[in-house]
Amino acid sequence: MLTIALAKGRMQDDALELFARAGIVVAEEELKSRKLLVQSTDNRFQFVFVKPGDVPTYVEYGVADAGVCGRDVLMEANADVHEPLDLKFGYCKIAVAGRKEVVGQDYNLLATVRVATKYPNIATEYFHRKGIPIETVYLSGSVELAPLLGLSDRIVDLVETGRTLKENGLEVIDVITETTARLIVNRASFHLKRDEVSKLISELGNVLNK
Amino acid sequence: MSSLTKIPAGVQYFFDEEVRLRRHVEQQAMKVFAGWSYDEIIVPMFDYHDLFARGMGAERAERTYRFTDRDGALLALRPEMTSLVARTVATRFVQRARPIRLCYSGEVFRYDEPSERAAREFHQLGIEQIGQPSPTADIEVLLIAAELLKTIGLDEFRITLAHVDFFKGVAERFGSDEAKRANLRELIDRRNSIALDQFLQINAPDIAEERRQSFCQLTQIAGKAEAIAKARETLRNETSRTAIEQLAAIYDTLSALGLREQFDIDFGDAGGLEYYTGLTFKVYVPGWGTEIGSGGRYDNLISNFGKAEPAVGFSFALDGLVGARRNKNIALAAEASETIPLSDDQTRTFQSALALRKLGRNLKLQ
Repeated sequence: MLTIALAKGRMQDDALELFARAGIVVAEEELKSRKLLVQSTDNRFQFVFVKPGDVPTYVEYGVADAGVCGRDVLMEANADVHEPLDLKFGYCKIAVAGRKEVVGQDYNLLATVRVATKYPNIATEYFHRKGIPIETVYLSGSVELAPLLGLSDRIVDLVETGRTLKENGLEVIDVITETTARLIVNRASFHLKRDEVSKLISELGNVLNK
Repeated sequence: MSSLTKIPAGVQYFFDEEVRLRRHVEQQAMKVFAGWSYDEIIVPMFDYHDLFARGMGAERAERTYRFTDRDGALLALRPEMTSLVARTVATRFVQRARPIRLCYSGEVFRYDEPSERAAREFHQLGIEQIGQPSPTADIEVLLIAAELLKTIGLDEFRITLAHVDFFKGVAERFGSDEAKRANLRELIDRRNSIALDQFLQINAPDIAEERRQSFCQLTQIAGKAEAIAKARETLRNETSRTAIEQLAAIYDTLSALGLREQFDIDFGDAGGLEYYTGLTFKVYVPGWGTEIGSGGRYDNLISNFGKAEPAVGFSFALDGLVGARRNKNIALAAEASETIPLSDDQTRTFQSALALRKLGRNLKLQ
Protein backbone atom coordinates (compact mmCIF):
# COMPACT_ATOMS: atom_id res chain seq x y z
CA MET A 1 0.00 0.00 0.00
CA LEU A 2 1.18 3.53 -0.77
CA THR A 3 0.73 6.31 1.75
CA ILE A 4 -0.09 9.66 0.17
CA ALA A 5 0.06 12.98 2.00
CA LEU A 6 -2.48 15.55 0.84
CA ALA A 7 -2.52 19.24 1.70
CA LYS A 8 -5.63 20.04 3.70
CA GLY A 9 -7.97 22.74 2.43
CA ARG A 10 -8.85 23.66 -1.11
CA MET A 11 -6.10 21.66 -2.72
CA GLN A 12 -7.42 18.55 -0.96
CA ASP A 13 -10.72 18.62 -2.87
CA ASP A 14 -9.00 19.17 -6.22
CA ALA A 15 -6.55 16.39 -5.49
CA LEU A 16 -9.23 13.89 -4.43
CA GLU A 17 -11.23 14.75 -7.51
CA LEU A 18 -8.24 14.06 -9.72
CA PHE A 19 -7.57 10.75 -7.96
CA ALA A 20 -11.26 9.83 -8.36
CA ARG A 21 -11.06 10.49 -12.10
CA ALA A 22 -8.12 8.06 -12.16
CA GLY A 23 -10.30 5.49 -10.39
CA ILE A 24 -8.81 5.99 -6.94
CA VAL A 25 -11.80 6.68 -4.76
CA VAL A 26 -12.20 7.47 -1.07
CA ALA A 27 -15.65 6.66 0.33
CA GLU A 28 -17.81 9.68 1.16
CA GLU A 29 -18.37 8.67 4.80
CA GLU A 30 -14.62 8.33 5.31
CA LEU A 31 -14.12 11.88 4.08
CA LYS A 32 -16.92 13.26 6.23
CA SER A 33 -15.41 11.72 9.33
CA ARG A 34 -12.71 13.61 11.14
CA LYS A 35 -10.16 10.90 10.50
CA LEU A 36 -6.75 12.15 9.44
CA LEU A 37 -5.94 8.79 7.87
CA VAL A 38 -8.31 7.23 5.33
CA GLN A 39 -8.06 4.43 2.77
CA SER A 40 -9.15 4.27 -0.83
CA THR A 41 -12.00 1.84 -1.55
CA ASP A 42 -9.64 -0.55 -3.35
CA ASN A 43 -7.24 -0.49 -0.36
CA ARG A 44 -4.33 0.38 -2.62
CA PHE A 45 -3.78 3.76 -1.03
CA GLN A 46 -3.85 5.35 2.37
CA PHE A 47 -4.31 9.11 2.48
CA VAL A 48 -3.11 11.37 5.25
CA PHE A 49 -4.33 14.93 5.49
CA VAL A 50 -1.73 17.39 6.73
CA LYS A 51 -1.03 21.12 6.64
CA PRO A 52 0.15 22.17 3.16
CA GLY A 53 3.59 23.18 4.36
CA ASP A 54 4.09 19.77 5.97
CA VAL A 55 3.53 17.68 2.83
CA PRO A 56 7.16 17.90 1.63
CA THR A 57 8.37 16.96 5.12
CA TYR A 58 6.21 13.81 5.27
CA VAL A 59 7.39 12.77 1.83
CA GLU A 60 11.06 13.67 2.25
CA TYR A 61 11.26 11.60 5.44
CA GLY A 62 9.46 8.73 3.74
CA VAL A 63 6.58 8.40 6.21
CA ALA A 64 4.43 9.14 3.17
CA ASP A 65 5.52 7.58 -0.13
CA ALA A 66 3.99 10.35 -2.19
CA GLY A 67 2.18 13.64 -1.74
CA VAL A 68 0.34 16.44 -3.42
CA CYS A 69 1.31 20.05 -2.72
CA GLY A 70 1.91 23.33 -4.47
CA ARG A 71 5.20 24.10 -6.15
CA ASP A 72 5.44 27.17 -3.90
CA VAL A 73 5.53 24.96 -0.80
CA LEU A 74 8.05 22.66 -2.46
CA MET A 75 10.36 25.54 -3.39
CA GLU A 76 10.14 27.06 0.07
CA ALA A 77 10.86 23.75 1.79
CA ASN A 78 13.67 22.97 -0.68
CA ALA A 79 12.66 19.33 -0.24
CA ASP A 80 14.77 16.61 -1.80
CA VAL A 81 12.02 14.60 -3.50
CA HIS A 82 11.03 13.46 -6.98
CA GLU A 83 8.42 15.56 -8.72
CA PRO A 84 7.11 13.39 -11.56
CA LEU A 85 3.85 15.18 -12.39
CA ASP A 86 2.47 18.66 -12.74
CA LEU A 87 -1.17 18.13 -11.73
CA LYS A 88 -2.17 21.44 -13.38
CA PHE A 89 -4.65 22.61 -10.71
CA GLY A 90 -4.06 25.24 -8.03
CA TYR A 91 -2.50 27.75 -10.44
CA CYS A 92 -1.06 30.84 -8.78
CA LYS A 93 1.83 33.26 -9.17
CA ILE A 94 4.44 33.97 -6.55
CA ALA A 95 4.96 37.69 -6.86
CA VAL A 96 6.67 40.65 -5.32
CA ALA A 97 4.13 43.37 -4.54
CA GLY A 98 4.14 46.76 -2.90
CA ARG A 99 2.21 50.01 -2.55
CA LYS A 100 1.49 51.81 -5.81
CA GLU A 101 4.09 54.45 -5.03
CA VAL A 102 6.97 51.98 -5.02
CA VAL A 103 6.03 50.28 -8.30
CA GLY A 104 8.63 51.10 -10.91
CA GLN A 105 11.02 52.53 -8.35
CA ASP A 106 14.58 51.28 -8.53
CA TYR A 107 15.94 49.39 -5.59
CA ASN A 108 18.69 51.12 -3.69
CA LEU A 109 21.34 48.45 -3.99
CA LEU A 110 22.99 49.48 -0.76
CA ALA A 111 19.89 49.69 1.42
CA THR A 112 18.29 46.57 2.83
CA VAL A 113 14.78 45.93 1.54
CA ARG A 114 12.40 44.72 4.20
CA VAL A 115 10.07 42.05 2.82
CA ALA A 116 7.11 40.51 4.62
CA THR A 117 6.32 36.99 3.45
CA LYS A 118 5.20 33.45 4.10
CA TYR A 119 8.09 32.41 1.87
CA PRO A 120 11.34 33.69 3.40
CA ASN A 121 13.51 31.26 1.40
CA ILE A 122 11.96 32.06 -1.97
CA ALA A 123 12.09 35.79 -1.21
CA THR A 124 15.71 35.70 -0.07
CA GLU A 125 16.77 33.68 -3.09
CA TYR A 126 15.02 36.07 -5.46
CA PHE A 127 16.47 39.28 -4.01
CA HIS A 128 19.94 37.82 -3.58
CA ARG A 129 19.95 36.75 -7.21
CA LYS A 130 19.34 40.40 -8.06
CA GLY A 131 22.07 41.48 -5.67
CA ILE A 132 19.67 43.29 -3.38
CA PRO A 133 20.17 42.98 0.37
CA ILE A 134 17.01 41.77 2.07
CA GLU A 135 15.56 41.43 5.54
CA THR A 136 12.59 39.05 5.69
CA VAL A 137 9.76 39.39 8.17
CA TYR A 138 7.92 36.09 8.48
CA LEU A 139 4.12 36.36 8.57
CA SER A 140 1.77 33.37 8.43
CA GLY A 141 -1.19 35.24 6.92
CA SER A 142 -2.67 38.58 5.83
CA VAL A 143 0.69 39.49 4.39
CA GLU A 144 -0.93 42.38 2.44
CA LEU A 145 -1.23 44.33 5.67
CA ALA A 146 2.50 44.68 6.13
CA PRO A 147 3.19 47.48 3.59
CA LEU A 148 -0.01 49.29 4.57
CA LEU A 149 1.06 49.54 8.19
CA GLY A 150 4.68 50.20 7.34
CA LEU A 151 5.98 46.88 8.59
CA SER A 152 7.72 46.22 5.28
CA ASP A 153 8.57 47.86 1.94
CA ARG A 154 7.51 44.91 -0.16
CA ILE A 155 5.77 41.57 0.19
CA VAL A 156 6.35 38.24 -1.53
CA ASP A 157 3.12 36.29 -1.68
CA LEU A 158 0.84 34.04 -3.73
CA VAL A 159 -1.30 35.94 -6.19
CA GLU A 160 -4.25 34.19 -7.76
CA THR A 161 -6.44 36.88 -9.29
CA GLY A 162 -4.81 39.94 -7.78
CA ARG A 163 -8.08 41.07 -6.20
CA THR A 164 -6.86 41.04 -2.59
CA LEU A 165 -3.83 43.10 -3.61
CA LYS A 166 -5.94 45.60 -5.50
CA GLU A 167 -8.46 46.06 -2.72
CA ASN A 168 -5.60 46.86 -0.37
CA GLY A 169 -3.98 49.33 -2.73
CA LEU A 170 -1.08 47.07 -3.66
CA GLU A 171 0.33 46.20 -7.06
CA VAL A 172 2.45 43.40 -8.44
CA ILE A 173 6.04 44.57 -9.00
CA ASP A 174 7.49 41.36 -10.40
CA VAL A 175 6.38 37.75 -10.84
CA ILE A 176 8.99 35.43 -9.35
CA THR A 177 7.53 32.21 -10.67
CA GLU A 178 4.30 30.36 -11.30
CA THR A 179 3.02 27.50 -9.23
CA THR A 180 0.62 24.58 -9.62
CA ALA A 181 -0.03 21.41 -7.64
CA ARG A 182 2.61 18.71 -8.00
CA LEU A 183 2.76 15.00 -7.33
CA ILE A 184 5.89 14.39 -5.29
CA VAL A 185 7.44 11.02 -4.47
CA ASN A 186 9.93 9.96 -1.82
CA ARG A 187 13.29 8.98 -3.30
CA ALA A 188 13.49 5.65 -1.48
CA SER A 189 9.85 4.68 -2.17
CA PHE A 190 10.47 5.47 -5.81
CA HIS A 191 12.82 2.48 -5.95
CA LEU A 192 11.53 0.20 -3.20
CA LYS A 193 7.86 0.42 -4.32
CA ARG A 194 8.61 0.94 -7.98
CA ASP A 195 5.65 -0.97 -9.43
CA GLU A 196 3.05 0.78 -7.28
CA VAL A 197 4.61 4.22 -7.80
CA SER A 198 4.90 3.90 -11.58
CA LYS A 199 1.31 2.65 -11.76
CA LEU A 200 0.15 5.71 -9.81
CA ILE A 201 2.13 8.07 -12.05
CA SER A 202 0.77 6.55 -15.24
CA GLU A 203 -2.83 6.46 -13.96
CA LEU A 204 -2.72 10.14 -12.98
CA GLY A 205 -0.76 11.01 -16.12
CA ASN A 206 -3.42 9.44 -18.32
CA VAL A 207 -6.18 11.47 -16.71
CA LEU A 208 -4.16 14.68 -17.09
CA ASN A 209 -3.51 14.05 -20.77
CA LYS A 210 -7.18 13.56 -21.56
CA MET B 1 18.48 28.59 28.19
CA SER B 2 21.14 26.78 30.11
CA SER B 3 23.78 24.85 28.21
CA LEU B 4 23.08 21.99 30.63
CA THR B 5 19.70 21.26 29.07
CA LYS B 6 20.30 22.57 25.57
CA ILE B 7 22.09 20.63 22.81
CA PRO B 8 23.55 22.32 19.70
CA ALA B 9 21.51 21.61 16.56
CA GLY B 10 22.52 18.52 14.66
CA VAL B 11 24.51 16.58 17.24
CA GLN B 12 23.36 13.68 19.37
CA TYR B 13 24.05 11.77 22.57
CA PHE B 14 23.59 8.00 22.44
CA PHE B 15 23.09 5.60 25.30
CA ASP B 16 21.70 2.20 26.34
CA GLU B 17 20.50 -0.08 23.56
CA GLU B 18 21.19 2.54 20.89
CA VAL B 19 24.90 2.38 21.66
CA ARG B 20 24.96 -1.42 21.68
CA LEU B 21 23.18 -1.47 18.34
CA ARG B 22 25.49 1.13 16.79
CA ARG B 23 28.62 -0.66 17.98
CA HIS B 24 27.23 -4.01 16.87
CA VAL B 25 26.43 -2.78 13.36
CA GLU B 26 29.80 -1.04 13.13
CA GLN B 27 31.66 -4.21 14.15
CA GLN B 28 29.69 -6.35 11.71
CA ALA B 29 30.47 -3.92 8.90
CA MET B 30 34.18 -3.76 9.70
CA LYS B 31 34.26 -7.56 9.80
CA VAL B 32 32.77 -7.73 6.32
CA PHE B 33 35.34 -5.18 5.06
CA ALA B 34 38.17 -7.16 6.66
CA GLY B 35 36.80 -10.32 5.04
CA TRP B 36 37.53 -8.75 1.65
CA SER B 37 41.04 -7.65 2.76
CA TYR B 38 40.23 -4.01 3.42
CA ASP B 39 42.57 -2.59 6.07
CA GLU B 40 41.23 0.03 8.40
CA ILE B 41 42.69 3.50 8.16
CA ILE B 42 42.30 6.06 10.94
CA VAL B 43 42.47 9.65 9.70
CA PRO B 44 42.49 12.88 11.72
CA MET B 45 39.27 14.55 12.85
CA PHE B 46 40.40 17.82 11.25
CA ASP B 47 42.84 18.83 8.55
CA TYR B 48 43.60 21.84 6.33
CA HIS B 49 40.49 23.24 4.69
CA ASP B 50 42.37 23.44 1.41
CA LEU B 51 42.65 19.65 1.36
CA PHE B 52 38.87 19.18 1.40
CA ALA B 53 38.39 21.91 -1.21
CA ARG B 54 40.81 20.06 -3.50
CA GLY B 55 39.06 16.77 -2.86
CA MET B 56 35.36 17.51 -2.97
CA GLY B 57 35.33 20.87 -4.72
CA ALA B 58 35.28 24.37 -3.28
CA GLU B 59 31.51 24.60 -3.14
CA ARG B 60 30.98 21.51 -1.04
CA ALA B 61 33.95 22.36 1.15
CA GLU B 62 32.05 25.55 2.06
CA ARG B 63 29.77 23.47 4.23
CA THR B 64 32.49 22.53 6.68
CA TYR B 65 33.04 23.67 10.24
CA ARG B 66 36.11 25.84 9.96
CA PHE B 67 38.53 27.31 12.45
CA THR B 68 42.09 28.58 12.49
CA ASP B 69 45.19 26.86 13.74
CA ARG B 70 47.52 28.64 16.17
CA ASP B 71 49.58 29.81 13.18
CA GLY B 72 46.50 31.20 11.42
CA ALA B 73 46.11 28.36 8.88
CA LEU B 74 42.51 27.51 8.01
CA LEU B 75 41.41 24.11 9.32
CA ALA B 76 38.16 22.19 8.89
CA LEU B 77 36.49 19.33 10.71
CA ARG B 78 36.47 16.46 8.24
CA PRO B 79 33.27 16.61 6.14
CA GLU B 80 33.99 13.24 4.50
CA MET B 81 36.70 10.62 4.60
CA THR B 82 37.50 10.06 0.93
CA SER B 83 39.67 13.17 0.48
CA LEU B 84 41.79 12.19 3.47
CA VAL B 85 42.16 8.62 2.22
CA ALA B 86 42.96 9.85 -1.30
CA ARG B 87 45.73 12.19 -0.10
CA THR B 88 47.22 9.38 1.99
CA VAL B 89 47.27 7.02 -0.98
CA ALA B 90 48.65 9.69 -3.32
CA THR B 91 51.44 10.70 -0.97
CA ARG B 92 52.38 8.09 1.62
CA PHE B 93 51.41 4.99 -0.37
CA VAL B 94 53.05 5.90 -3.69
CA GLN B 95 55.39 2.92 -3.49
CA ARG B 96 52.78 0.35 -2.45
CA ALA B 97 51.49 -2.31 -4.81
CA ARG B 98 48.05 -1.67 -6.31
CA PRO B 99 45.20 -2.16 -5.75
CA ILE B 100 45.09 -0.63 -2.30
CA ARG B 101 42.08 -1.57 -0.19
CA LEU B 102 41.15 0.64 2.77
CA CYS B 103 38.13 0.95 5.03
CA TYR B 104 37.13 3.44 7.69
CA SER B 105 34.57 4.13 10.39
CA GLY B 106 34.10 7.50 12.02
CA GLU B 107 32.22 10.75 12.41
CA VAL B 108 32.16 13.45 9.77
CA PHE B 109 30.81 16.99 10.18
CA ARG B 110 28.85 19.03 7.70
CA TYR B 111 26.85 22.17 7.89
CA ASP B 112 23.98 22.13 5.42
CA GLU B 113 21.98 25.30 4.95
CA PRO B 114 19.13 26.07 5.07
CA SER B 115 17.94 22.85 6.62
CA GLU B 116 17.53 23.49 10.34
CA ARG B 117 16.59 19.93 11.14
CA ALA B 118 19.49 18.19 9.44
CA ALA B 119 22.16 16.40 11.37
CA ARG B 120 25.57 18.07 11.45
CA GLU B 121 27.46 15.04 12.69
CA PHE B 122 27.25 11.72 10.87
CA HIS B 123 28.95 8.43 11.48
CA GLN B 124 30.14 6.99 8.18
CA LEU B 125 31.35 3.50 7.36
CA GLY B 126 33.02 2.97 4.05
CA ILE B 127 35.67 1.53 1.80
CA GLU B 128 37.96 2.79 -0.96
CA GLN B 129 39.60 0.59 -3.57
CA ILE B 130 42.40 2.35 -5.43
CA GLY B 131 44.37 1.27 -8.47
CA GLN B 132 42.03 -1.14 -10.24
CA PRO B 133 39.89 -0.05 -13.18
CA SER B 134 36.24 -0.85 -13.92
CA PRO B 135 34.48 -3.26 -13.92
CA THR B 136 36.37 -5.70 -11.63
CA ALA B 137 36.76 -3.28 -8.75
CA ASP B 138 33.23 -1.92 -9.25
CA ILE B 139 31.72 -5.37 -8.89
CA GLU B 140 33.88 -6.07 -5.85
CA VAL B 141 32.65 -3.01 -3.94
CA LEU B 142 29.02 -3.66 -4.93
CA LEU B 143 29.26 -7.21 -3.60
CA ILE B 144 30.75 -5.92 -0.36
CA ALA B 145 27.88 -3.43 0.03
CA ALA B 146 25.37 -6.23 -0.58
CA GLU B 147 27.07 -8.53 1.91
CA LEU B 148 27.14 -5.82 4.55
CA LEU B 149 23.39 -5.23 4.20
CA LYS B 150 22.60 -8.94 4.42
CA THR B 151 24.92 -9.41 7.39
CA ILE B 152 23.14 -6.82 9.50
CA GLY B 153 19.70 -8.19 8.60
CA LEU B 154 18.58 -5.70 5.94
CA ASP B 155 17.88 -8.33 3.28
CA GLU B 156 15.28 -6.34 1.35
CA PHE B 157 17.74 -3.73 0.14
CA ARG B 158 17.76 -2.21 -3.31
CA ILE B 159 20.90 -0.82 -4.95
CA THR B 160 20.40 1.41 -7.98
CA LEU B 161 23.24 1.61 -10.50
CA ALA B 162 23.89 4.64 -12.68
CA HIS B 163 26.72 6.07 -14.75
CA VAL B 164 27.65 9.75 -14.96
CA ASP B 165 28.48 9.50 -18.68
CA PHE B 166 24.93 8.49 -19.53
CA PHE B 167 23.72 11.99 -18.66
CA LYS B 168 26.90 13.71 -19.87
CA GLY B 169 26.43 12.14 -23.30
CA VAL B 170 22.91 13.47 -23.53
CA ALA B 171 23.92 16.91 -22.28
CA GLU B 172 26.75 17.16 -24.83
CA ARG B 173 24.31 18.44 -27.44
CA PHE B 174 23.86 21.62 -25.41
CA GLY B 175 27.59 22.29 -25.55
CA SER B 176 28.56 25.07 -23.20
CA ASP B 177 24.99 26.22 -22.53
CA GLU B 178 25.19 25.76 -18.76
CA ALA B 179 21.61 26.89 -18.14
CA LYS B 180 20.14 24.29 -20.48
CA ARG B 181 22.31 21.52 -19.10
CA ALA B 182 21.25 22.43 -15.57
CA ASN B 183 17.61 22.55 -16.63
CA LEU B 184 17.86 19.13 -18.29
CA ARG B 185 19.53 17.69 -15.23
CA GLU B 186 16.92 19.11 -12.89
CA LEU B 187 14.06 17.69 -14.97
CA ILE B 188 15.65 14.23 -15.07
CA ASP B 189 16.50 14.31 -11.38
CA ARG B 190 12.94 15.30 -10.48
CA ARG B 191 11.61 12.49 -12.72
CA ASN B 192 9.34 15.01 -14.36
CA SER B 193 8.98 13.19 -17.68
CA ILE B 194 6.21 15.39 -19.05
CA ALA B 195 8.17 18.60 -18.57
CA LEU B 196 11.26 16.81 -19.86
CA ASP B 197 9.40 15.87 -23.01
CA GLN B 198 8.34 19.49 -23.53
CA PHE B 199 11.86 20.72 -22.86
CA LEU B 200 13.36 18.37 -25.45
CA GLN B 201 10.65 19.17 -27.96
CA ILE B 202 11.68 22.82 -27.83
CA ASN B 203 15.42 22.51 -27.31
CA ALA B 204 16.21 19.38 -29.32
CA PRO B 205 13.68 19.42 -32.14
CA ASP B 206 15.83 17.09 -34.28
CA ILE B 207 15.02 14.10 -32.05
CA ALA B 208 12.16 12.04 -33.48
CA GLU B 209 9.05 11.94 -31.29
CA GLU B 210 9.25 8.22 -30.67
CA ARG B 211 12.86 8.35 -29.50
CA ARG B 212 12.18 11.41 -27.39
CA GLN B 213 9.30 9.74 -25.56
CA SER B 214 11.27 6.57 -25.14
CA PHE B 215 14.07 8.60 -23.53
CA CYS B 216 11.61 10.29 -21.17
CA GLN B 217 10.20 6.94 -20.05
CA LEU B 218 13.69 5.56 -19.66
CA THR B 219 14.77 8.31 -17.29
CA GLN B 220 11.56 8.24 -15.27
CA ILE B 221 11.57 4.72 -13.86
CA ALA B 222 14.52 2.50 -12.98
CA GLY B 223 14.55 -1.04 -14.34
CA LYS B 224 16.51 -4.18 -15.08
CA ALA B 225 17.51 -5.92 -18.34
CA GLU B 226 14.59 -4.33 -20.19
CA ALA B 227 15.87 -0.87 -19.23
CA ILE B 228 19.26 -1.68 -20.72
CA ALA B 229 17.63 -2.94 -23.92
CA LYS B 230 15.55 0.21 -24.15
CA ALA B 231 18.58 2.42 -23.53
CA ARG B 232 20.51 0.66 -26.32
CA GLU B 233 17.64 1.34 -28.71
CA THR B 234 17.16 4.94 -27.66
CA LEU B 235 20.59 6.49 -27.22
CA ARG B 236 22.78 7.29 -30.21
CA ASN B 237 25.65 9.31 -28.77
CA GLU B 238 28.94 7.50 -28.14
CA THR B 239 29.44 8.72 -24.56
CA SER B 240 26.04 7.47 -23.36
CA ARG B 241 26.37 4.23 -25.31
CA THR B 242 29.71 3.42 -23.69
CA ALA B 243 28.15 4.13 -20.28
CA ILE B 244 25.25 1.79 -21.06
CA GLU B 245 27.63 -1.02 -22.02
CA GLN B 246 29.70 -0.54 -18.86
CA LEU B 247 26.57 -0.72 -16.74
CA ALA B 248 25.32 -3.75 -18.69
CA ALA B 249 28.60 -5.59 -18.08
CA ILE B 250 28.39 -4.95 -14.34
CA TYR B 251 24.71 -5.83 -14.21
CA ASP B 252 25.19 -9.09 -16.14
CA THR B 253 27.82 -10.27 -13.68
CA LEU B 254 25.64 -9.34 -10.69
CA SER B 255 22.71 -11.22 -12.28
CA ALA B 256 24.87 -14.27 -12.86
CA LEU B 257 25.82 -14.13 -9.17
CA GLY B 258 22.15 -14.32 -8.17
CA LEU B 259 21.69 -10.64 -7.27
CA ARG B 260 19.30 -9.68 -10.07
CA GLU B 261 16.48 -8.81 -7.66
CA GLN B 262 18.50 -6.48 -5.48
CA PHE B 263 20.02 -4.36 -8.25
CA ASP B 264 18.32 -1.90 -10.59
CA ILE B 265 19.63 0.23 -13.41
CA ASP B 266 18.62 3.85 -12.96
CA PHE B 267 19.06 5.95 -16.10
CA GLY B 268 17.28 8.81 -14.33
CA ASP B 269 20.04 9.38 -11.79
CA ALA B 270 21.98 12.44 -12.93
CA GLY B 271 23.70 13.14 -9.64
CA GLY B 272 27.33 13.26 -8.54
CA LEU B 273 28.60 14.67 -11.82
CA GLU B 274 31.27 16.85 -10.20
CA TYR B 275 32.86 14.08 -8.23
CA TYR B 276 32.30 10.76 -9.95
CA THR B 277 33.68 9.61 -13.29
CA GLY B 278 31.89 6.33 -14.01
CA LEU B 279 29.60 4.03 -12.08
CA THR B 280 27.57 5.60 -9.27
CA PHE B 281 25.17 3.82 -6.97
CA LYS B 282 22.69 4.45 -4.18
CA VAL B 283 21.39 2.08 -1.54
CA TYR B 284 17.81 2.03 -0.25
CA VAL B 285 16.18 -0.15 2.41
CA PRO B 286 12.55 -0.33 3.58
CA GLY B 287 11.88 1.74 6.66
CA TRP B 288 14.35 4.50 5.83
CA GLY B 289 13.14 7.41 3.71
CA THR B 290 16.46 8.42 2.19
CA GLU B 291 19.42 6.58 0.71
CA ILE B 292 21.44 4.91 3.46
CA GLY B 293 24.54 4.55 1.39
CA SER B 294 26.08 5.67 -1.87
CA GLY B 295 29.25 5.35 -3.84
CA GLY B 296 30.89 5.22 -7.21
CA ARG B 297 34.00 5.54 -9.29
CA TYR B 298 36.10 8.69 -8.99
CA ASP B 299 39.11 8.29 -11.26
CA ASN B 300 40.02 12.00 -11.15
CA LEU B 301 40.04 12.53 -7.41
CA ILE B 302 43.45 11.06 -6.60
CA SER B 303 45.06 13.29 -9.25
CA ASN B 304 44.11 16.29 -7.10
CA PHE B 305 46.71 15.02 -4.64
CA GLY B 306 49.22 13.29 -6.92
CA LYS B 307 49.10 11.24 -10.08
CA ALA B 308 45.80 10.03 -11.54
CA GLU B 309 44.65 6.58 -10.49
CA PRO B 310 41.41 4.67 -10.87
CA ALA B 311 39.43 4.50 -7.64
CA VAL B 312 36.04 3.33 -6.46
CA GLY B 313 34.36 3.32 -3.06
CA PHE B 314 31.24 3.79 -1.01
CA SER B 315 30.08 5.06 2.35
CA PHE B 316 27.12 4.12 4.50
CA ALA B 317 25.43 6.29 7.09
CA LEU B 318 25.49 4.42 10.39
CA ASP B 319 22.30 6.30 11.39
CA GLY B 320 20.53 4.78 8.40
CA LEU B 321 21.81 1.25 8.95
CA VAL B 322 20.89 1.34 12.63
CA GLY B 323 17.57 3.12 12.06
CA ALA B 324 16.38 0.71 9.37
CA ARG B 325 17.44 -2.23 11.50
CA ARG B 326 15.63 -0.83 14.52
CA ASN B 327 12.47 -0.48 12.42
CA LYS B 328 12.65 -4.21 11.77
CA ASN B 329 12.59 -4.77 15.53
CA ILE B 330 15.77 -6.76 15.66
CA ALA B 331 16.58 -6.17 19.32
CA LEU B 332 19.99 -6.55 20.83
CA ALA B 333 19.97 -7.43 24.52
CA ALA B 334 22.67 -6.29 26.88
CA GLU B 335 24.95 -9.10 27.98
CA ALA B 336 23.87 -10.70 31.25
CA SER B 337 25.98 -10.11 34.31
CA GLU B 338 26.18 -11.66 37.78
CA THR B 339 25.53 -9.56 40.84
CA ILE B 340 28.06 -9.47 43.62
CA PRO B 341 26.65 -7.99 46.83
CA LEU B 342 28.70 -5.35 48.56
CA SER B 343 29.75 -6.26 52.09
CA ASP B 344 31.68 -4.60 54.89
CA ASP B 345 34.65 -6.75 54.03
CA GLN B 346 36.01 -4.82 51.04
CA THR B 347 38.80 -7.30 50.39
CA ARG B 348 36.43 -10.26 50.20
CA THR B 349 34.00 -8.43 47.94
CA PHE B 350 36.69 -7.53 45.47
CA GLN B 351 38.32 -10.95 45.75
CA SER B 352 35.14 -12.58 44.49
CA ALA B 353 34.85 -9.92 41.79
CA LEU B 354 38.40 -10.56 40.57
CA ALA B 355 37.80 -14.32 40.65
CA LEU B 356 34.79 -13.95 38.35
CA ARG B 357 36.64 -11.60 36.03
CA LYS B 358 39.49 -14.07 35.81
CA LEU B 359 36.97 -16.59 34.45
CA GLY B 360 35.92 -13.99 31.91
CA ARG B 361 32.44 -13.56 33.44
CA ASN B 362 30.48 -10.30 33.57
CA LEU B 363 29.67 -8.87 36.96
CA LYS B 364 28.00 -5.95 38.67
CA LEU B 365 28.78 -4.76 42.20
CA GLN B 366 25.79 -3.55 44.14
